[in-house]
Amino acid sequence: MTEPTTSRSQEFWAGIRAELPLQLGVAPFGLVFGVLGIASGLSAWQTILMSSILFGGASQVVFVQLWGSGAPLPVVGASVSVINLRHVLYSASIAPYLRSLPFRWRVPLAYLLTDEAYAVTIDRLRNGVESPFQHYHLLGTGMTLWVCWQITTVTGVVFGATIPDSWSLGFAIPLTFIALVAPAIRRRADLAACLTSGVLAIAGQPLPWKSWIILAGIGGILAGWLVHLHDRRRAAS
Amino acid sequence: MIWWVMVICGLMTFSMRFVMFSDIAPKQLPSWLEEALGFVPIAVLTAIIVPAVIIAPDGGLMLAGNARLPAALVAVTAALFTRSVLVTIGSGLGALWCLDWLVY
Repeated sequence: MTEPTTSRSQEFWAGIRAELPLQLGVAPFGLVFGVLGIASGLSAWQTILMSSILFGGASQVVFVQLWGSGAPLPVVGASVSVINLRHVLYSASIAPYLRSLPFRWRVPLAYLLTDEAYAVTIDRLRNGVESPFQHYHLLGTGMTLWVCWQITTVTGVVFGATIPDSWSLGFAIPLTFIALVAPAIRRRADLAACLTSGVLAIAGQPLPWKSWIILAGIGGILAGWLVHLHDRRRAAS
Repeated sequence: MIWWVMVICGLMTFSMRFVMFSDIAPKQLPSWLEEALGFVPIAVLTAIIVPAVIIAPDGGLMLAGNARLPAALVAVTAALFTRSVLVTIGSGLGALWCLDWLVY
């Protein structure tokens, strides 16, 4: 009989420890979402429970903004879908490590699969020692983020009105995304996706209901992919 | 009404997270789809960042006298050099506060 290389609790706590520092980026975001939900006309319960039901920061922010501006429901659904489409990629990249788990594990782990939990756990799965309990790592990172997200949402809902505007906490949202996007731009194709999306997002401002998010998102993906195909073809010839 | 929309959006989001964990999923995504999806974070997040930095509440471009623009550039530089989420958010917010206080 071979000894497992790591135990359940080792994996779980390693996940929590690795995820904790990132909460300094998640916390202001959760606060801002709580404030924004109330400001957009949602009730306290609607705002708080959305953090459990959707559990995706960027999509929640866009959801409440669209809802507040009276956008038609298909636009809300399409925007949330485009924003969360990236999770298919996370799901695909992490699936080989988790596919043999029973259903009762895969469902909660999929629910907990967010940007920051994925980033931390995929690093451990790829570079750490193989262990029969490595899925506990994702449980640790995912639950850490979940708890922080819920607490900060509630805090934003309750104390939102007392946070002075001069703190510009809302600016934490684009800053969080800058932290994710800027280091991800490595190839010409990445830059093409970024620039195309930025230009379309500005050009699309007259469109109703923030539809520029869908337009710029899809345009950016296409531009990046086309440049990628072009570069690969040139490299092959 | 809003509850229904929320639940539907939640189910869609969960499906996108679960899809490749399911028993019927192919072992691997088709390579073209995987490549295209690789551009989703950059494209979608940029579409949220850019208007948040340079679009005024009335929908017009806001370049001069907009402390958010230099603050965002500080954050981009910090992100490129440190690759740290904390330093990026800290330097961006810090720059915005300083500029608000000093200049604008």
